[in-house]
Amino acid sequence: MPFTAKSGKFNASINTLTIGTGDKAITLGGENVLPFYTFDAPIENAPKVGIEITDGGLDAEPDCIKACYEGCTSVVDMAKKAAGFEGVDFLSLRLEGGDPNGLNKSTEELIAIVKEVAAAVDLPLVISGCKNVEKDAELLTKAAEALEGRNALILPAKEENYKTVGAAAGLAYKQVVGAESSVDINLAKQLNVLLTQLGVNPQSIAMNVGTASAGYGFEYVISTIDRVKAAALSQGDATLQMPIITPVASEVWGVKETMASEADMPEWGPVEERGIDMEIETAAADLVSGSNAVILRHPASVATISKMIKELV
Amino acid sequence: MTLFDVVFKGNDAVYGLTEQAIDAAIAQHGADKAVAFPDTAYSLPCYFGVTGTKVGNLGELKTALGVVKTLMTREKKLNDVFMSGVATALCAEFIEVLKYIDGAVPYEAPCYGHLADAVIRELGVPLVTGDIPGVAVILGTAPTAQEAVDLVKSYQGQGILVTLVGGVIDQLQEMGYKTGANVRVIPLGKDVTSVIHVVSVAVRAALIFGNIQGGDAAGLMKYTFERVPAFVNAFGPLDEVVVACGAGAVALGFPVITNDVATLEAVNGKVPKSIIGQPDVAKFNATSLEARNIKIKITNIDIPVAFASAFEGEIIRRGDMQVEFDGSRVDCAELVQTREASEIEDHKIEVIGPDIDEMPVGSKQSLAYVVEVAGKTMQADFEPVFERKFHSYLNCVEGMMHTGQRDMIRIRVSKDTFNAGFRLKHIGEVLYAKVKSEFAAVVDKCQVKIYSKPEDCTRIRHEVAIPVFDKRDERLTTLTDESVDVYYSCIMCQAFSPSHVCVVTPERLGLCGAVSWLDAKATNQLDPQGPCQVITKEKVIDERIGEYEDVNDAVRKFSQGALDDVSLYSIIEKPMTSCGCFECICGIEPLSNGVCIANREYAGMTPIGMTFSELASMTGGGVQTPGFMGHGKHFIASKKFMKAEGGVARIVWMPKELKETVADRLNETAKELYGIENFCDMIGDETVAEDPETLLAFLEEKGHPALTMEPMM
Repeated sequence: MPFTAKSGKFNASINTLTIGTGDKAITLGGENVLPFYTFDAPIENAPKVGIEITDGGLDAEPDCIKACYEGCTSVVDMAKKAAGFEGVDFLSLRLEGGDPNGLNKSTEELIAIVKEVAAAVDLPLVISGCKNVEKDAELLTKAAEALEGRNALILPAKEENYKTVGAAAGLAYKQVVGAESSVDINLAKQLNVLLTQLGVNPQSIAMNVGTASAGYGFEYVISTIDRVKAAALSQGDATLQMPIITPVASEVWGVKETMASEADMPEWGPVEERGIDMEIETAAADLVSGSNAVILRHPASVATISKMIKELV
Repeated sequence: MTLFDVVFKGNDAVYGLTEQAIDAAIAQHGADKAVAFPDTAYSLPCYFGVTGTKVGNLGELKTALGVVKTLMTREKKLNDVFMSGVATALCAEFIEVLKYIDGAVPYEAPCYGHLADAVIRELGVPLVTGDIPGVAVILGTAPTAQEAVDLVKSYQGQGILVTLVGGVIDQLQEMGYKTGANVRVIPLGKDVTSVIHVVSVAVRAALIFGNIQGGDAAGLMKYTFERVPAFVNAFGPLDEVVVACGAGAVALGFPVITNDVATLEAVNGKVPKSIIGQPDVAKFNATSLEARNIKIKITNIDIPVAFASAFEGEIIRRGDMQVEFDGSRVDCAELVQTREASEIEDHKIEVIGPDIDEMPVGSKQSLAYVVEVAGKTMQADFEPVFERKFHSYLNCVEGMMHTGQRDMIRIRVSKDTFNAGFRLKHIGEVLYAKVKSEFAAVVDKCQVKIYSKPEDCTRIRHEVAIPVFDKRDERLTTLTDESVDVYYSCIMCQAFSPSHVCVVTPERLGLCGAVSWLDAKATNQLDPQGPCQVITKEKVIDERIGEYEDVNDAVRKFSQGALDDVSLYSIIEKPMTSCGCFECICGIEPLSNGVCIANREYAGMTPIGMTFSELASMTGGGVQTPGFMGHGKHFIASKKFMKAEGGVARIVWMPKELKETVADRLNETAKELYGIENFCDMIGDETVAEDPETLLAFLEEKGHPALTMEPMM
């Protein structure tokens, strides 16, 4: 009996979402098949890869990353250089210095950096907060204002501050709102519904449904992404059809496998290699589960993941 | 004159003035002269919002006035009044824009006049988030300058944005009261037409934040009504122009509150919820908030000690105790009662009787507190839901211990807390603040009465509280699956059991034992996007096992397709799944043709040959395992327990402790269903048998009904 392959194309599809403006703008989503199942139906918008820098500049980076940005003296220098690395589709600026429990930099100081970086690069921008919900509400509101017209992704609007971040980014200044929930499909869905009720256009929402480094509760992340995509495609659940963006860098570079020195852990090999490996492994798994974009830190990981995507789509 | 006449007359007057002003401007500057408000992308925002047309010069303004005229219909219907109000507002906008010709700066400090788009974006965010809970438009001259200041201050204290038009601006200045956008008190202008600048804010909020397209007048009015919590306070005496402007405000959904009751009555102009007379300016605030349904967020609790969940488990020893209220020895009670809004003065806390400092140290006292609430969506069914939270609220107070519920409460207040100044009224403060903030979705107003005289407590307990408790219990017993129209889903546990869905019915509570049908209903009302959603039960598939098409659809949806169908009353056919939180597990015991139930606390062996943990590994995880079922303790005595397989008569074994807990209710159910007296005596426990053979011998000796029932498998 001849084998007739059955197409796994779904009737529903992921929303298409554009970030940035002009030639460099990127489009996420749009697919109606499982991740990389191009044999079922073409995937028009391949997943995208972003590179992350922080307001802390070089000082905040591990040595191996510092080396990649040799010659840079400011965050803006780094942004310009990052934009030129192979495979970079967008730039992510993480404002971690704003955390009141950390450096507690003022909103004005951080927004000045946002403005400088925005002026220096024409790549699509993702602005990430400092993980403190109150500070983020203030910081991201101002960031959305400063980037008016850039169609940037503002991350994250969480359950605690979605009203402020959603209203500022999604309504007042027409940016893309990044809805962040913590590895639970129902929370992801609820946040999307709440943002939509606030008046944010569902077509202007991207989701971060949770993130972790491989080996650190990562199976929860993968199963959540799996389930979100399954609900979006097979059940046609419109409240979960937003493209998913997964920040990888901020998780991976904080675990012992990437931080322990070679002197302490000679059997683990060189630090840089380990960091790149962890980043690539985590990002690849996120992408094959259904993430539409990943944010990485090491230029070598960006190049590798970008190549992987090109080979598969 | 009637309201119609007044509005129409006011509208005509303003229209006449506008026509003159535009004609004069054209005569002076020519029809091509540009007109615009500064710093806005929305032309004349109100006119653009209503019609979708942008006005660029005086000639176009004249054309626009023609369009406005078409709104001014003169039938004596409420719609004509509203449209004339809108027309009046648009005329005001035209008059105001003329002031800005040639880049003129018509307003000077403290007045703002037209507000730029940037200001609206900035104010819009806190408006959308509710950080600015409302917008007050105060118009005219208050009876005294002090009253003007008091009114403005009352709104400011609530975070409400205040805009001022007319004489009230001078009054505030005269009193040296600080105004400005930074303190959220914005004087617009002294002419009545300058009120349009706040209307312009509302309209642009709809255009910017609501994605309303210019010209979608219906969408615009819906948005302003639903999302812009503005209201007007107009000081008398009212003239026709103000009344006509007021009609415009009402058209946008903004109620008008005035102290000029005489004029209102003369024109028979009261419109419930929209045009309200309130002779007492001191009550403008409360009247306005109620009319516009604005709820002020409560962020801090006014008590002299800390309030945090860290204190929840605190034990107050006798020696550390200042005073004790003990419901087991003297009369005590805690109660929530629903009242009419008019019967409640929000945040009123009354202590009736002696306070703690008048009670001997270490003494046992009576105490009864009644929390009275009102709300448009409040239902008596929520009362016990609130009440059950009191335990946690009062325990969170530093140095306070609360146990029990209803009329069996016990409260201890520590000496340290007493010395810090804690008194009975602070119990009221805690209950008020928590009920108002946690149940804001259903509670609009709340007041607390605290009784400490023994005779009052006796009266409240026996004449008020106990009859209420009895009524509630009766409602619970009469609440059956057949007597309600909907069930509720509960997916609270999906975080760790992703495909599990509980279907909560009046006679089958959630398997955790913590979510009854009433709880699920309240959860749904309080958090409409939350874990409990309405499930209809209109399409019966099989009455016997309790299977419904709508229930199956819901289960399929909420389990993301993992489950296709469940029955409500069968353990064999399509049984409901379990997450892992079950209070009890019921499993088939084949030898006796019945079921054994084990509760979580029971660590021993069951006649099934498995312990609770072993049973749990078979039952949890959101999969259907025929023959096993997780459930709440309360479900054991339900008439719906395994109804499809013959009901509670199938129960052959339970741990002794569990059996004692459910005995009274289970005996009653068995008597009602089968006419069996003292059914629990027929049920085995660990003292009788932990193996099936011994159990069977016991059951045969007792003549247990399961032995003669149809085989289950």
